[in-house]
Amino acid sequence: MTEKEQKQIFEEWLTQHKALIFKIVRAYAFTVMDQDDLFQEIIIQTWHSIPAFRKESSVTTWLYRISLNTAIKWTKKERKHYQSDAIDGVMHILEESRMQTDERLTWLYEEIYKLDEIDRSITLLLLDGFSYKEMASILGITESNVGVKINRIKKQLISKSKKYDHYGI
Amino acid sequence: MEFEELRKIWDAQDNQPLYAINEKAMYNLILSKKKQAHHITNISELLLIVVNIGSGILVLVLNLFKQSGNISLYVLSAWMLASALYTLVRRIQRINGDQQFDRSINGDLSHAISVASYQVRISQIMRWNILPVAALTLLGLWEGGKPIWIVLIVLLFFALTYYAGGWEHNIYKKKKHELEILQKKLGNEG
Repeated sequence: MTEKEQKQIFEEWLTQHKALIFKIVRAYAFTVMDQDDLFQEIIIQTWHSIPAFRKESSVTTWLYRISLNTAIKWTKKERKHYQSDAIDGVMHILEESRMQTDERLTWLYEEIYKLDEIDRSITLLLLDGFSYKEMASILGITESNVGVKINRIKKQLISKSKKYDHYGI
Repeated sequence: MEFEELRKIWDAQDNQPLYAINEKAMYNLILSKKKQAHHITNISELLLIVVNIGSGILVLVLNLFKQSGNISLYVLSAWMLASALYTLVRRIQRINGDQQFDRSINGDLSHAISVASYQVRISQIMRWNILPVAALTLLGLWEGGKPIWIVLIVLLFFALTYYAGGWEHNIYKKKKHELEILQKKLGNEG
């Protein structure tokens, strides 16, 4: 594969699937600096993964695998930034959108962030409408195990959303 | 809220991107990183091979050149060359083993654990390897009639290397343990 072809595929993937990567970045990294750091890791892994893509799965499934693998391992790195660490003049790749976000979405991301790394990945796949079979293939576990985990996560999220409704936030 | 409502909130963000991408900075990053595909294991293995071969040959040539007949230094040279060969064989075995893992998150974690186990093992072996190398070097210096202060400095150097080796080994052990915890969480029913 030539570099030109690789770049073309990369651009195509990013244009069509950037929302997927953004969701993973926001679910796994809390501060803007960390989000930028994780996004950089994911795009580099994505770039390197292009020659290995054999079209045995959809691009979405492939990107989810690459991005989640990267995010799960990234959480184990001991170089998280705090908001106050921002250094002027450092070139960032991600810029936060200034559009007004739904408060309920912010709440949902906060709840997802409270889950452990594995449950976070399952929740993202679940919310993005993947089937049990696809989830099992992405995660490398059995469908029944996926089912058990999903039931628990769903119950947890619904119960928390009821409290959220109750306080009328 | 019911789950379907949560999903609707989730889906709505697809029409409203969370971030904007600075494309120029992104391509600069890719350009700067695309050649950094070598894993740290690769670098440390190659370093071990090169250092052992280089030191082994150097000790051998110096010993032959001086015609000192210092047996300890001949043994030391052979030991270092054997260490390089051992690392090379393990490296080939590791690379061949890389093909066995599937591309799922579990497969990727298994691969990462396998690499971490390899790092734990090789760092332990290389740490132990310092002991015979140090013993043979010190013996060689002693037989060569070197002053005691040189022997002590070399001893201190090996002691520090042994300590640093332990520190490196513990980093790999910690990393492996964290990956095992992740895989356990993934495999747990519930």
